[in-house]
Amino acid sequence: MESVNIEKLLEAYFEGNTTLNEEVILRTYFTEKEVEPQFQMYAPLFAGLKAAKQEVATKEPVLPESLGINRSWWYGIAASAAIVVLVAGFMFSRPSITAQEQEALTAFNESKKAMLILSENFNKGTGHLAIVNEFNNTKNRILK
Amino acid sequence: MQQKEFLSIVLPFKDRLYRLAKRILISSEEAEDAVQEVYLKLWKGRLKISNYKSAEAFAITMTKNYCLDRLKSKQASNLKIVHSNYQNSDNLEKQIEANDGVAIVFKLMESLPEQQKIVLQLRDVEEFEFAEIAKMLDSNETAIRVALSRARKTIREKLIQQHKYGIG
Repeated sequence: MESVNIEKLLEAYFEGNTTLNEEVILRTYFTEKEVEPQFQMYAPLFAGLKAAKQEVATKEPVLPESLGINRSWWYGIAASAAIVVLVAGFMFSRPSITAQEQEALTAFNESKKAMLILSENFNKGTGHLAIVNEFNNTKNRILK
Repeated sequence: MQQKEFLSIVLPFKDRLYRLAKRILISSEEAEDAVQEVYLKLWKGRLKISNYKSAEAFAITMTKNYCLDRLKSKQASNLKIVHSNYQNSDNLEKQIEANDGVAIVFKLMESLPEQQKIVLQLRDVEEFEFAEIAKMLDSNETAIRVALSRARKTIREKLIQQHKYGIG
């Protein structure tokens, strides 16, 4: 009696015309009961489907902690932090530049002083040259 | 939506997504990656999930599309899928391989065209109604029935052959 039923169900099954309930009957028959020889060749199919159902994923999905609104917050924080670092860096690096400039300035001043002394002495020299001009005057008077 | 709430909605069908991904991609590693990818996408679009009547159906459609895309890009770049899962000494896998008949059925399922593979998986493994499957695959019930019948018949023919030769 059961084998007639199973035969009918199998026929419908391969045509894609069984309901889910009927498929449960088939699965139970082939995996839990004594399968009659004429249906023996179908047993692996139902055993295979059963085994396929037992497979499970081993890894848990990993999700990022926060997204969306929180992410844009983080962008804001990161941007302001970057600005702070830039400004701070600029401020702190400034004194070192002025120290260099200071050095250059003092060097400039020193050399300016030296130049002034030099030119003063030159001027002293030109004062003495006025006497030489006197020679010229006398010579002009004589050779007129 | 908080992560806890989100996970309570999407985690229950994780294994289903994994099995579908594995059916299409064959390799269990790739299937895990696919599931991870689908969950990331779901998480990014989690506000939309509440709009969908069935998050599960939505996730299955996403998984199917993602896996088929992966497959296409692989074929395009001429890469062969590495069946790394055979080296995996997973208990279940050993169990399956130990059972010769089951191993043959797995091989037969692998050899089916993608669409038939997916329909067979969703119907005979996950036990969805035809209407649900039609929605997930953006198809109609008749087409689903036809694909399913072809898949089942192909496997039947091979099993009968094996049986005749006394291998199975």
